[in-house]
Amino acid sequence: MHRLVRDHIEDIVAGVESASVTAHLKACAECQSDVTAMRAQSAALRELRAANDAEPRPGFYARVMERIEAQGPASIWSLFIESAFGRRIAVASLALALLLGVYVISSERAVDQPIVAGQQAQPAVVVGEDAPGRVITQMSGNQSSNDDVLVNLVTYQEQ
Amino acid sequence: MSSLSGAIPFPATKDGTRARTRVDHRNSEEAALVRRVQARDEMAFREIVERYQAKVFSIIYGILRNRNDAEDIAQQVFAKIYFSIRNFDFRSSLLTWIYKITVNECYDYLRKKRVRKLVYESDFSAEDAQRMEASDPAVDPKTPVDVRLAQRDLIVKLLSKVSEQDRSLILLKEVNGHSVEELAAMTGLNENTIKVKLFRTRQKLLKAASRLTRVRTTAN
Repeated sequence: MHRLVRDHIEDIVAGVESASVTAHLKACAECQSDVTAMRAQSAALRELRAANDAEPRPGFYARVMERIEAQGPASIWSLFIESAFGRRIAVASLALALLLGVYVISSERAVDQPIVAGQQAQPAVVVGEDAPGRVITQMSGNQSSNDDVLVNLVTYQEQ
Repeated sequence: MSSLSGAIPFPATKDGTRARTRVDHRNSEEAALVRRVQARDEMAFREIVERYQAKVFSIIYGILRNRNDAEDIAQQVFAKIYFSIRNFDFRSSLLTWIYKITVNECYDYLRKKRVRKLVYESDFSAEDAQRMEASDPAVDPKTPVDVRLAQRDLIVKLLSKVSEQDRSLILLKEVNGHSVEELAAMTGLNENTIKVKLFRTRQKLLKAASRLTRVRTTAN
């Protein structure tokens, strides 16, 4: 839309056009089309005007006060109960709290028995005895050869 | 329609200066009334209800065209005003604030009820049709009522696609007939900002309308 038209669009949709705007609209099909659309839109918006006599029935204030008394002061919980968004927040918070709880419990257990659990899971297997009191062991699973050496050193007994 | 770039260089106002309409909403007679309501003065609240009930009712009735619903929502609007007036911060006029609450309540109602067709035969009487015919001399009276109802339903639907602030502003301009200067005074924004906002809202509404038309054409 041409700047001249854009700058005066509020006047134009209200039916007030300067000579320069009129001349431009005659020459520019694009602006003319935009203005026609905006005028139609403006007319549709004005359809939302109510009749001048649109007023509530007598005794409106009393009915408002009744409603206020019925509703009472809004509590903080009503935010979560009454609105769908609030309910979603409440459910999400509960889910998050549950997840955190599970995480804390599981991580505390892991801290209590980290090494013991590893040793129990992959015990050394006695594979033979090359001399009395000298046990040859082999680590199961994927433990490194360094572990094998350490175990052999610990279990070594001098003749 | 051509799209606009970020900042629209709207012109200065008639007097050649960039308008910056600043109205002190804290020191008006209206502000004194609000402070009394904030202090839980029931007579002051009654004054607010009596002062704005017709306006609130006509805004709602204009959107919903159902007197019972309009009455119910108007009551809810004033209940909301009563409970939340403590949060009113005087940045805009009381009318702007009430207007925003009113329009939001209407759209909340429409969302909750999931009203697709706003006017049903049972709701729309011959009396209502006459009222509608007489409601606005600016609207072409030759346009049949059913076409005007369809246009009205469409515009209500399109208005749900823009932000609360844009919606209130365009309705205050087109439905309540406030000028740009008045809107600037009511909202505390300057006139150029109001013009830009109105123009962008008009564009958004046109774009939403063309999207909707495309969807309907594809569906058929």
